[in-house]
Amino acid sequence: MVLVTSVRDYINRMLHDISGMKVLILDSETVSNVSIVYSQSELLQKEVFLVEMIDSISVSKESMSHLKAVYFVRPTSDNIQKLRYQLANPRFGEHHLFFSNLLKDTQIHILADSDEHEAVQQVQEFYADFVAGDPYHFTLNMPSNHLYMLPAVVDPSGLQRYSDRVVDGIAALFLALKRRPVIRYQRTSDTAKRIAQETAKLMYQHESGLFDFRRTESSPLLLVIDRRDDPVTPLLNQWTYQAMVHELIGLQDNKVDLRAIASLPKDQQEVVLSSEQDAFFKSNMYENFGDIGMNIKRMVDDFQQVAKSNQNIQTVEDMARFVDNYPEYKKMQGNVSKHVTLVTEMSKLVEARKLMLVSQTEQDLACNGGQGAAYEAVTDLLNNESVSDIDRLRLVMLYALRYEKENPVQLMQLFNKLASRSPKYKPGLVQFLLKQAGVEKRTGDLFGNRDLMNIARNMARGLKGVENVYTQHQPLLFQTMESITRGRLRDVDYPFVGDHFQQGRPQEVVIFMVGGTTYEESRSVALQNATNSGIRFILGGTAVLNSKRFLLDLEEAQRIARSGSHMV
Amino acid sequence: MATRNRTLLFRKYRNSLRSVRAPMTESKPGVGPVIEMASTSLLHPKRSYAPVSTEDPGNSSKGAVTVGLPPDWVDVSEEISVNIQRARTKMAELGKAHAKALMPSFGDGKEDQHQIESLTQEVTFLLRKSEKQLQRLSAGGPSEDSSVRKNVQRSLATDLQHLSMELRKKQSTYLKRLRLQKEDGGDLEMNLNGSSSRAEDDDFDDILFSEHQMSKIKKSEEISVEREKEIQQVVESVNELAQIMKDLSALVIDQGTIVDRIDYNIQNVASTVEDGLKQLQKAERTQRSGGMVKCASVLVILCFIMLILLILKEIFL
Repeated sequence: MVLVTSVRDYINRMLHDISGMKVLILDSETVSNVSIVYSQSELLQKEVFLVEMIDSISVSKESMSHLKAVYFVRPTSDNIQKLRYQLANPRFGEHHLFFSNLLKDTQIHILADSDEHEAVQQVQEFYADFVAGDPYHFTLNMPSNHLYMLPAVVDPSGLQRYSDRVVDGIAALFLALKRRPVIRYQRTSDTAKRIAQETAKLMYQHESGLFDFRRTESSPLLLVIDRRDDPVTPLLNQWTYQAMVHELIGLQDNKVDLRAIASLPKDQQEVVLSSEQDAFFKSNMYENFGDIGMNIKRMVDDFQQVAKSNQNIQTVEDMARFVDNYPEYKKMQGNVSKHVTLVTEMSKLVEARKLMLVSQTEQDLACNGGQGAAYEAVTDLLNNESVSDIDRLRLVMLYALRYEKENPVQLMQLFNKLASRSPKYKPGLVQFLLKQAGVEKRTGDLFGNRDLMNIARNMARGLKGVENVYTQHQPLLFQTMESITRGRLRDVDYPFVGDHFQQGRPQEVVIFMVGGTTYEESRSVALQNATNSGIRFILGGTAVLNSKRFLLDLEEAQRIARSGSHMV
Repeated sequence: MATRNRTLLFRKYRNSLRSVRAPMTESKPGVGPVIEMASTSLLHPKRSYAPVSTEDPGNSSKGAVTVGLPPDWVDVSEEISVNIQRARTKMAELGKAHAKALMPSFGDGKEDQHQIESLTQEVTFLLRKSEKQLQRLSAGGPSEDSSVRKNVQRSLATDLQHLSMELRKKQSTYLKRLRLQKEDGGDLEMNLNGSSSRAEDDDFDDILFSEHQMSKIKKSEEISVEREKEIQQVVESVNELAQIMKDLSALVIDQGTIVDRIDYNIQNVASTVEDGLKQLQKAERTQRSGGMVKCASVLVILCFIMLILLILKEIFL
């Protein structure tokens, strides 16, 4: 609840003190921050009768001086310019400016300069600068996510902007939580190191007054890690509800857009999947596909019961009861159709792409041993006509990540086969991935075959057998969290920034993954938090990845790296 | 939850910049007729007006609240919210009256019934009136003002729906309790019949008892007829409310659906503006081609021809 509650509290504070009819003005990023935690009907209760984007508001000329304007935007130079224009020609009665992050003095100066009509009532910083999708998972929805893969020399200003945005997001999170953390980062990642150091500079030097909160027993921990340490998780196909929806269809700000998938009635074209608002989703978001099917069937049966009793209207009392319960009935009906539609569409996709077959091999590649068998399986699937290009690419990538060093001849054969089978395949992409995230670059024990303990554990698991072949994979993050819980996160791999140290175990840990998180990892975090181990984990990233997005980032980075090398 | 207030710094800069700017600029133009509203909310029952003259903005001290005159439809929405408030107080009274009527009493209970009737009617009337006025708030056109109107409409519709549902719940509980009481009255009747059959043996007692019985039976009949009438009235108001609910459900937002998302509504406004523009352009085009005008002129000419033919026929025959 933590993240969602903090953002909601900020919005409540903003709207509460201002009475009368209001208009809320947002920019393209804060609209996500607000929409994901606050609903339209709640805004109406707070007397906000119009919501506008800061871009389009300059266009209209209507003067609405009976409305009070509440601005909630990021303090970018773009927004400041737009504000300047609006303050010069004020359309509303009052102007209350709330910024989602730290303002520079120069920006305040510019605003003050343009406020000739003295229209501004207050200027505040309310640090809701992240998208809180789930109680313990946030994202920054950054568009050019691929920049973290490139060395700094390729696009220094781009990387600086990237790093600044991440630092802003992390700072806002800790200000919202009112904590100042001890910072550690993954040694092998330059981007992670840079971000960790700049965050430390901000929190302990530039704005140390602002971050000087009451000290608790043990400082919280901020751990900045790199996506490339675990490239396997975003490539795998998912079978738990939330992760599966994102992988097969796409989940953006807790909304699912089904228009591209199938032609559906208007009220099912876009749906909302929010654990806060949908009780069924909350109890099923981490369940696997088979269990979801059964639970949905149960829900449909319950609903049919209610519908039947509603049709059986004989007395006036029945009629009265029906009208009483009608809003709830309608809501239930909407919810049932939403979940049934989603599961139906996903089943269709699973069938069409033969995902049961593909995913079994993927899980074997990720979890079990046996290079020879793996090679056979991957070759078979590459030869299978019904397997789509993206699935072929993923299989070869997973194989390459696992058996990078074993049997290079067979690896080459797979590359060639992939290139010949998939016309749209960008050559060299798998090699690029290996260069970025190969075995030399990785810190963690991704496949459980370095550390003796892990090998033993894997063997034990193999002997015991797994409950579900499709969900056997555990993301690397799970191991990292375990190490932190046991206080055994190695300093060598994850050094501290500056001269901070941590005595004992932290009670709050924020893990920020540069390059993006996945819903499988957020599920891992939620399940870990549910075990009440005494440590609360929060996970965040620059974006929420599915395999399509991860591959897109790889392609984009490869393209830039290539063009850069041509220039050199 | 940390925040930082930059208003002081902002004001400091603003003042210092103003003093730099002041000798060069003229007096700034006014903002139109202003009414100062001190801590008011346009949709809350309490409202305080504090008249103020149009001050020289240069002297405005910390945050002089100047809000311009709202458009006309705001008066309508004010009226509706006042009616809703009135309905709420009446419903509280109705609740008390229900409780009183259900308590066993020695009297006839007729005044209680009348009170309940009148209160129920008043509340239903207020709700009906508010609902009709709510329809007036709808506006066409994709302007910003119409978005505000639509949102105000939605918010009031939600309040109205809650009130209607509350009223219905109260009525249905009252109905249920009434039915239970009626059944008790029915039992009483059964007892009477039972006792009457036993008294058939004794002749002397017969005469006395039968008279007694008759009056008792008549009385219980009257009571049940009264109760029937009440139930009928309650049922009528239930039906009326059902109608209101149906109309309102079109306006109220379903929580948890895509329509309740802020970003969806913003996108929708943008696309309706585009659609509206396209519609307008299409309308303009069809109007210009003036198909209607052509049809009309052709018909008129035909009429003239027919008239002439008729006259000629008359002349020649």
